[in-house]
Amino acid sequence: MRTALVFHQRYLLHEQSRDHPERRERLSYTIDQVREEGLFDHPLILNLTPTEAPWDAAARVHIPEYLCFLEEASKRGGFIDFDTSVPTGLLSSALLAAGGAIRAADAVISGEAVNAFALVRPPGHHARQGTGAGFCYLNNIAIMTRHVQEKGMRRVMILDWDAHHGDGTQQIFYEDPSVLFTSIHQWPFYPGSGSVDEIGSGEGEGFTANMPVPAGTGDESYHFLFDSVIAPLAREFSPDLIAISAGQDNHFTDPLTGLALTARGYAELMKKAVDLAETLCGGRLVAVLEGGYSVEGGLPYTNLGIIAAMAGLDLSNIREPEAYQGWLVRAKDPSAHAKVREHAAALRANLSPYWSCFE
Amino acid sequence: MLIGMDVGGTNTDIAMVDHEVTSVKVPNTLGVRQVLGRIRRPGRLAVSTSTPLNRVLAGPPMKVQTILIPGPGLSWPGSIRGAVNHRGEVVESIDLEEVDVALAVRGDVLAIAGKFSVRNPSLEQEVAARALHYYTAEKIAVSHHLGTLNFPARVATTRLNAQLMETVTLLTKEIGAEYRDFFFFKGDAGLIPPDHAVRNPSVLYRSSAAAVALGAFYLSGIAECLVVDVGGTTTDLVPLSGGRPVMETIVSENERTVTTAVAAQSIPYGGDSLIEERLCPTRVGNAIAFGGERPTLTDALNVTGCGIGDAMASRKITPLIAFEALEEYYSLVSQAVAMHGARRLVGTGYLAPFLVPEIARRTGTSVTIPPHWDCANAVGVAISRVSLTLHARFDSGRGCVVFNGEPQELRKMGDEEAVLDRCKEEVQQRALAAGADPRDVEDVQVLFFHSYDVIRGTYRSARIADVVVQIAPGITAEAP
Repeated sequence: MRTALVFHQRYLLHEQSRDHPERRERLSYTIDQVREEGLFDHPLILNLTPTEAPWDAAARVHIPEYLCFLEEASKRGGFIDFDTSVPTGLLSSALLAAGGAIRAADAVISGEAVNAFALVRPPGHHARQGTGAGFCYLNNIAIMTRHVQEKGMRRVMILDWDAHHGDGTQQIFYEDPSVLFTSIHQWPFYPGSGSVDEIGSGEGEGFTANMPVPAGTGDESYHFLFDSVIAPLAREFSPDLIAISAGQDNHFTDPLTGLALTARGYAELMKKAVDLAETLCGGRLVAVLEGGYSVEGGLPYTNLGIIAAMAGLDLSNIREPEAYQGWLVRAKDPSAHAKVREHAAALRANLSPYWSCFE
Repeated sequence: MLIGMDVGGTNTDIAMVDHEVTSVKVPNTLGVRQVLGRIRRPGRLAVSTSTPLNRVLAGPPMKVQTILIPGPGLSWPGSIRGAVNHRGEVVESIDLEEVDVALAVRGDVLAIAGKFSVRNPSLEQEVAARALHYYTAEKIAVSHHLGTLNFPARVATTRLNAQLMETVTLLTKEIGAEYRDFFFFKGDAGLIPPDHAVRNPSVLYRSSAAAVALGAFYLSGIAECLVVDVGGTTTDLVPLSGGRPVMETIVSENERTVTTAVAAQSIPYGGDSLIEERLCPTRVGNAIAFGGERPTLTDALNVTGCGIGDAMASRKITPLIAFEALEEYYSLVSQAVAMHGARRLVGTGYLAPFLVPEIARRTGTSVTIPPHWDCANAVGVAISRVSLTLHARFDSGRGCVVFNGEPQELRKMGDEEAVLDRCKEEVQQRALAAGADPRDVEDVQVLFFHSYDVIRGTYRSARIADVVVQIAPGITAEAP
C-alpha cells in the first residue's frame, strides 16, 4: 500500500472539557471529509487501528515520576497548566495516541505502507520528559522516534511544522545527534522558545534548526524554508526516516494563531517532504497530527490535502471554498517574507560550522 | 399467508407459507400479471427480482451520463461548479448554464452525485430538476437517498441505480396493479417497500442468492453450512454463518458501491446446461425430458437412471456422453465447494437430491436436502421481514435533522439518549408504516453513534450527532 492512515474512533472522544480548543469537535469534520472522499476505502490507502503504546515505549522518553503522576491524575482528574488539565481516563487516551504514532512507524518500517499518517489526539509536541504542556501529555513523535531507533532506524529527521514551537520535542533530543530536529513556527508566540540561536548542545550541537516566522507568513515562505533550509539539511543528514509533527494550525483560518498557509500550500509542502523521503530514505515518512484549531474551516481541507499528497493523488482541486478568499487576503502580511528570509539567513549562519551545505 | 416470489432466468418460483408450504413454478413467458394471477390469494407478497436486473446489466450497454458536484477536495472528471461542505451548507452555488451545457451531451440515463449531498441534497435536486427537460424522471438517479458518507461509492451506486431504475419502476407498476401493497426482497435478505427500491434499486442485487440462503436456513434449521443451490442455468454456493448469509460490498464497474449483499459464488452450470458432446455453460431451452429439443444435464441424469420428467425421452444422448457431462459438472462444483471448507452442505433447487449428495461425497461433507428444497428460494422471500437502515445527522446549529438524505426541521435535539430514542422511533415508525409486523421492529440495532459540541468563540453554540440504526434482516415473527 502507498499510505497508511492510523485512526481510532477513540481519537474523537478525548476532551479536557467540553469547550476546550482541543475537543471532540476538532477531528470530527476531518474524519467526515476523509470518509466522504472515500479515502478509508481507497486502493492506495491502508487503514490501521492502533493499540495503546506500552508503558516501556513511553518510558524511553518520559521519566517514571511523570508517568506515575499521569496514572494517578487519570483516576480522579488533575491539573498540569491552565491549558492542560488531566481529565479522568487520560493516560489511556494519551497512550493510544502514542500507540498510533508507533503503529504508523511500524507500518512504514515493515513495508506495509510507504508512508503513514497517524490522525491522533491528544497531540504531543509540547510534552517534555517530566511534564505535559500546551494540550499535550505524552510526546507522541518522540516516543515514535525512540521506537524506530530501537528497530534499527538510527537517524531520524523531525520536521515540526505546527504553528507553535515544538519545545518538548526539541528538549528531548537537544543533545542527541541521531535526531535532527527542525521546526517552522510563529514567533514570537507560545511557548516562547524556538529562536535561531537554539541549535542543540553537547553532542547534539548543530542538530536543532529553528525557523521562526512572523504572523502573516504564507505558502511562499514555507516553501522557501523547505527548499533553502530543510531539504539541504536533510540531504546532508541523510535520515533513515523522516517524521513530521503535522500541526495544521498554520492555516489562515486558525483562531489561535496568525499564519496564512492554505490547504494547497500544506499539500504541496507534504509533497515536497514525500519526494525528499523517496530520494533519501526509501520513502519512509511518518506524519503525526499535532495542533490545528480551525476545526471546521481549516482542518478538513488541510488534513485531506496532506493525505492526498502522501498517497500521490492529484492536488489540483485541494482548496478551501471560494468564499474564503477574502479571509486569506486579510490573514497574509506582505512584509512577512522578508523577515522569514532574514531569519533563515541567520539560522544558516548559526549552523554553518556544522553543515557544509550552509558554508 | 406469506407469499414469496423469486423471478428467475426462466421461471418464477412462488411459495405460499401458512401452516404448510405450497409452491408453484410458472414460466416467465406468461408475464408478471399472469404469474401474479396464478396466486389469487390474500396475503403479504414479497418479490425477489435480481435475475431480471442482471439481464438489464448484461444487455446492450447503456450510456450513463454522470454529473458530479464534488466541490473542494479530490478531483473528479465530469464535475460542475457547486459545493456543499461537511456541515451541509451550500458554500458554492451551481451555474445553471453550465448544467445545461453538461446535459446537452445526452446519455441513455443520468446519474447525479454531489459531495456531502447526504447532509444537504439541494444542489443534487437543482440539477435533477433541470435534467427533467432532458430525461424522464425514472431515468435520473441521485445519490443523497443513499444516506452514507463516501462520495466515490455513492457515485458508483448512483450510476448502477440509473441503469436499473426504469426496470424497477415498471415492475413496481405491474406488480402494484395486482397487489397494491407488496415488498421487494433485498440482496441482504430483508424486505423494503417499493418506493425504497425505486430510489435505490442496487439493494435488489443478488436477491435470489439471499433468498436461497434464508430459505435454506428456515427449512433446514442448519446455521453453519454451505448452501448449494442447483438452478437451471447456474449452481450457486452461498455460505451461511450463524444462520445468516455472509455479506460483502457490491462492486460495479470495478468500483465499490455503498450497497452490501450476500456473498455468493455462481458457477455457470445447472440443470438446463446444454450438452453438445460435452457440458456447455449455456442454456438454449428446457431439457428434452421437459419438452426441450436439445439434451441438457437433466437428461444426462435420466440416462444414468434418474426419473426426472419424461425420462425416456432423454435417451437421445449416449450413456458415455451423459457420464462425461455429469463427471465434468461434479468435478467443477466439487472443486468450488472444497474451496469454501464447509463441513455441511444444504442442497436446494429442483435437482438438488439428484446432484448434491454426490458433491458431498466427493468433498467429504455431510448433506441435508430440506423439505421443499425445490422452492427454498421462494420460501426465503416469503418468510423474510422488513429491514430498514436509517442514517441520521442531527445539527442543532443548522436547526435540522437529515434522515437518509432528506432534511427536516429540528425543533429540539435533547441529550444523547433522546437522539438515539428519536432515531429508533423513526426507523420503527417507517417500518410499521411500510407494513412491518410490530414484533419485527422491536429490536433496533445501533450501528454507529458519535456526538459532539460545536464551539464558536468560547461558547457551545450547537450540538451535532451522527447515528446509524437498523432493523436487521431476518425471519419474520409471522413465519410459522
